[in-house]
Amino acid sequence: MDLFDKFSSLPGQYEKIKAAGENPFGVCIEKIERPTLGIVNGRSTVLAGTNNYLGLTFDESCIAAAQEALATQGTGTTGSRIANGTYAGHRNLEESIARFLDKRSAIVYPTGYQANLGTIAGLCGPEDTVLIDADCHACIYDGVKLSGANVIRFRHNSPEDLDKRLSRIAEGNTNILVIVEGLYSMFGDVAPLKEFVAVKNKHGAYLYVDEAHSFGVFGKTGQGVAEAQGVLDDVDFIAGTFSKSLGTIGGFAASNHPEFELLRVASRPYMFTASISPATVASVTECLEQIRRRGPALMQRLWANASKLYQGVTALGLTVSAPLGPIVAVRMPDRETAVFFWNRLLENGVYVNLAIPPGTPNSTSLLRCSVSAAHTEEDIDAILHAFEEVALGLSASQAAE
Amino acid sequence: MTEMKQDQQEIYEKVCSLLEPFNNKELTLNRETDISSDLEIDSVAVLDFIMEVEDEYDISFPMNRISEIRTIGELVEAISELGGKH
Repeated sequence: MDLFDKFSSLPGQYEKIKAAGENPFGVCIEKIERPTLGIVNGRSTVLAGTNNYLGLTFDESCIAAAQEALATQGTGTTGSRIANGTYAGHRNLEESIARFLDKRSAIVYPTGYQANLGTIAGLCGPEDTVLIDADCHACIYDGVKLSGANVIRFRHNSPEDLDKRLSRIAEGNTNILVIVEGLYSMFGDVAPLKEFVAVKNKHGAYLYVDEAHSFGVFGKTGQGVAEAQGVLDDVDFIAGTFSKSLGTIGGFAASNHPEFELLRVASRPYMFTASISPATVASVTECLEQIRRRGPALMQRLWANASKLYQGVTALGLTVSAPLGPIVAVRMPDRETAVFFWNRLLENGVYVNLAIPPGTPNSTSLLRCSVSAAHTEEDIDAILHAFEEVALGLSASQAAE
Repeated sequence: MTEMKQDQQEIYEKVCSLLEPFNNKELTLNRETDISSDLEIDSVAVLDFIMEVEDEYDISFPMNRISEIRTIGELVEAISELGGKH
């Protein structure tokens, strides 16, 4: 007996993937040159799988704010939010997020993962019922598990299926929370929030929307998919992350609920972990300010880049799993082709995310590109050129067989 | 008692037919078949299969209940407990 016996089937699968070339889950960026360019295996590589949607990781004012905080407030808080880990900056950041989202209050967590874990497990308990979209991210699955609530999955992006499953629940017996995402990270498809709002209102449920990938990217001012679909006021809880459009690390949840702040003394993932460092706080706060000022221009660049990549990829005869958006996920026929294609792209100086089952819905294999406002025209051309080279090579070798 | 057994037999046959599309290894199914490890389907596919069962019987399985189910026999028991009607 060995603790690792339960993973006995893993090495075989893992070795097979590694044998095809580079280990896709162990890529090291040896040097990062700019938001969309790094050195991998000694080779200059265009980064097309970073979730760095607005490309602000090297923004001068964000860096200056972080440096200033680092120099004046030190390297870390060394404490949790409920002890010595709340500085004026943390409070100020929470007010900025609440203001940005037109919500009454916001709570900051050390990562996006913990923001969902802490908010969901804080809000829900064994007496409550949670309905989650089948394609929700792992942290939502983990959050509902930690909560101990009754959890029911409904079919992805289907308000009709949600309605059906809500109808099965005996009326008045339980609080009901419905959890969806604004933009789904793997396929890059958007939730029909307007329709979900109608269903949750019909059943008297709460609606929780994770805008991890859509914050700063969707809506006129970057508030997310809820803003884009005109339903921000109808969403009871909004969650998000600092590690995508905001370029650092951390996460948040925001709400108009008058008792929302109670989570600060009820949510264990909030209470029992150290707070984010002053440099991170300063950088995110400045980044929010940057988005307020030049978000629309950055979004315009992002969407223009996305459009160029999307059109280029589809022109090659490849299939993208969702309509045009900042995530361009190219469908592969199977896992082996995906791993092969991914390796050839890397050799051609392009990094994308390899997404294979069980990390993906419906056993799909994907080459997932995320577009950045910082991608130059040349970057997008390089990505498309690599896709073309590999696709041509693949069809030539298939023809030869 | 006999009536209940007959109910369960019907559920068992239905479950097996719903499981066929996932049975890529073409195993002969029985009550002891482990849905995930014998059929070698991943955890997400198991959840998708359970959705088919839920729709067939107009019931909802809480996810913590699903994690306790390993074999076809256990699933049949769970459906009949939740009052699954065909």
